Amino acid sequence: MGGHAASVLDDRLYGRLADLVSFEVEDRGPADQRLQSAAEQALYHEARMLDERRYRAWLERFTDDCVYWVPLDPVADPRTKVSYCLDDRRRMADRIGLLETGWAHAQEPPSRTVRTVSNVEAWPLGGGDTLARCSTVVWEHRKDRLTPFASRNDFVLASLGSDWAVRYKIVRLVDCSGDVRKFSFVL
Amino acid sequence: MNALDSLVQPHRVHRRAYTDPDIFAAEMSKVFGGAWVYLAHESQLPEPNDFVTTRMGLRPLILTRDSDGGLHGLFNRCAHRASTVCQSECGSTRRFQCSYHGWTYSNRGELVNVPFVEGYPPEFDKADHGLALVPRLGTYRGLVFGTLNSDAPTLAEWLGPAGPLIDEFVDRSPTGRIEVRNCQRMIYRGNWKLAWDNAGDGLHPTFAHRSFLVLNERQHGGARSLSQFKASPDDTGMYGLDLGHGHMFVDQRPGLNQSFWETQRPVPGREWYADRIAERFGEEAADVLDMAPGSMVNLSIFPNLLIKGNHLETVDPVSVGETRLHTWVAAAEGAPDEVNVLRMRIAEDFPSLGNPDDLEIFERCQEGLAIAEIEWVDMSKGLGHDAEQVSADGVRRAPVTHEGPMRGYLRAWLELMSSDAKLTTVRAGETSFEKAA
Repeated sequence: MGGHAASVLDDRLYGRLADLVSFEVEDRGPADQRLQSAAEQALYHEARMLDERRYRAWLERFTDDCVYWVPLDPVADPRTKVSYCLDDRRRMADRIGLLETGWAHAQEPPSRTVRTVSNVEAWPLGGGDTLARCSTVVWEHRKDRLTPFASRNDFVLASLGSDWAVRYKIVRLVDCSGDVRKFSFVL
Repeated sequence: MNALDSLVQPHRVHRRAYTDPDIFAAEMSKVFGGAWVYLAHESQLPEPNDFVTTRMGLRPLILTRDSDGGLHGLFNRCAHRASTVCQSECGSTRRFQCSYHGWTYSNRGELVNVPFVEGYPPEFDKADHGLALVPRLGTYRGLVFGTLNSDAPTLAEWLGPAGPLIDEFVDRSPTGRIEVRNCQRMIYRGNWKLAWDNAGDGLHPTFAHRSFLVLNERQHGGARSLSQFKASPDDTGMYGLDLGHGHMFVDQRPGLNQSFWETQRPVPGREWYADRIAERFGEEAADVLDMAPGSMVNLSIFPNLLIKGNHLETVDPVSVGETRLHTWVAAAEGAPDEVNVLRMRIAEDFPSLGNPDDLEIFERCQEGLAIAEIEWVDMSKGLGHDAEQVSADGVRRAPVTHEGPMRGYLRAWLELMSSDAKLTTVRAGETSFEKAA
């Protein structure tokens, strides 16, 4: 844990992310109802932690091999295209650390956010992981402006229940191919 | 036009340059039409019949490659009732058909079909009703530019001393060519020239990017990205150039005391990819790795192309108080895949951690510029200073924190804005093409 560990992002992990992208091609069919309420519990909690800016506690909910990914091209292999961000644990810690310096002008004053999480579905993946998918709108208020960030989010959850943990979080902004208002908080 | 002269003085610029809608309207014609405007990179339309849509100022444009490989700048406006005829960002086609009444054009701009043509006057000739084209197109090392101004200098003359600096940027690739990938698109509420002021500004990183500097020191220590701006930037040998015609250059390389790769902040995958490159390239690994980070220079080609890091960033004005920045990422053609994977992650690093602070400050500037009674923006640092050197080709060189590059681009801006050059469009087949390099 912590910000200093070497990156675990390697070609194998990129391959898993590319597989997650290729899952988009086929309809996964109806969700698994038994997993759904446990997935909802995790996703609602995750959203609340971010709205309350409990970033360090949020980061502790991610596995060591985690990825936080906001693609610009939702169907591309991330090895070949730039994203808004594709963070491993170290860069997630940097993103939080930047806000903690007190000098991040784009967050002075800080954004207030409220997230609406809906359309939660979940399916089992191999190795005990769960794929949870939801629609999210982050409503950001800062200075004189209210800005919505609408996305479909995919979570690969490494565990559920009170010890829920996230392996991958992928935020697919609906306007990722358009002009995005600058944001430096975590989506 | 003499009223404009009073807006740009040697040491300051009037707020109206950033806030007056009439000045903005004139800029969209005289600057983003009268100058050579960057349109796209050839690697975005590599094959015959490929196209990309872009804008030249506020004018929607389709840059096409015909079946013989020639480039054409077609205005995206049906000659009939003005509807745009192409809705895609990019693609491949020989024909553009207007969805309104079915007029159909070739990718060279010729009108090839008008449905129900009976009923038009007898003198109606399809040759008179093609798409309008950019009259002058030119390329330099794959960068495509266009101008509507027949009096403009040649593209080679326009770029002048900026040309060899473009060469340095593309020659970081083993093949001497870059491959433009995808693009990060950001929008801010501020005038386009605020991005321009910033691009030649070596004074701001110490303060505007303090969060980034403090983060790197706390988390990673040592001389990491931008640490050369931590204390006294002018003591490091870093410098800025006013290249003429509004082009600017900021060179951070003299501020580094280690390789580009060692300076680069750790990005995702750093260790695994560095190990692979070490295995594959042995003693040459350090040179291979140095292709991954950005160029450590900012080269700004007036009026709309900022080359920085591994990026081609376009400054795309929307209105007097709103601007789009499109940051296209360049891969190094011929470099090992590992290098270009790292380039993608590096291209997310400063843009997502540092640039939001720039954009925030642009918006704060636009807010402050609203005060009509406070008329002037000061740009006097370094004016008449002993440290400024002027070389034989007119390039002015000064320490990195001086504001000479900004004064330089505003002189070029004033010259274009004061010009009465006639701007024109041409018909299919009439574009003149210059291959400057």
